[in-house]
Amino acid sequence: MENPFAEESKSTSAWLWQVFTGVGLVILLGLHFVANHFVAKGGLRDFAEVVAYLRNPVVLCLEVLFLLCVTTHALLGVRAILLDFGLSEPTERRLDQILKVVGVLTVGYGLAMTWMVIR
Amino acid sequence: MHDYGKVSRAGGWLDVRRRKLGMWAYALNRITGIGLVIYLYLHLGILSLLLRGQAAWDSFIALARSPFYLALDVLLLAGILIHGLNGLRIALTGFGIGVGAQKAVFIILMIVGAITIWVAALKIFHV
Repeated sequence: MENPFAEESKSTSAWLWQVFTGVGLVILLGLHFVANHFVAKGGLRDFAEVVAYLRNPVVLCLEVLFLLCVTTHALLGVRAILLDFGLSEPTERRLDQILKVVGVLTVGYGLAMTWMVIR
Repeated sequence: MHDYGKVSRAGGWLDVRRRKLGMWAYALNRITGIGLVIYLYLHLGILSLLLRGQAAWDSFIALARSPFYLALDVLLLAGILIHGLNGLRIALTGFGIGVGAQKAVFIILMIVGAITIWVAALKIFHV
């Protein structure tokens, strides 16, 4: 996907992505929370209900989007806090690489787990 | 030798004593943010119980319906609401919207958050 903020400086671009994913989260987390804790009988879904819920294609798309948004938003937040330590440029680059790996692993783990549950 | 200057500068936002409301809002946003990142990974860990099958998940669900876990749900919701509502204010301010009314917007949003937490807590505990 083309980065819509590519022309911005790196810190501005990161901030805009944080806002973009944050707004997405307000909607997606709202849906996730209501669907899983307020609509579900007794506030939580049992195993069979979780499988049936995730097998709904619309729900699956929304949950995957939610995973992408929450991981990006969380790791950009961690980055912002760590940058306050006044990191050198090479350390900042290394931090970005580490956070990208953590992000890919997190999303990958979530997707693999979802696949194993619904298959 | 440790660079204590960098550490104290990086952690300076945590000390909100004698600071203005804006600093409290900033610290609150970061504290809830850190808590939510920790929760995200705990949540993924707990969800992995699904891979152990129906018995493992359903026994966790029985435990999660206990008052202690429900109280943690209320705490989680409080963190989400404080971080989310405060985050919306930060985003608007970042785009130059409502900069002069930041303090009022923060107070109003936190009141909205408190009312929502109260209503949700009643619903979670089926009061």
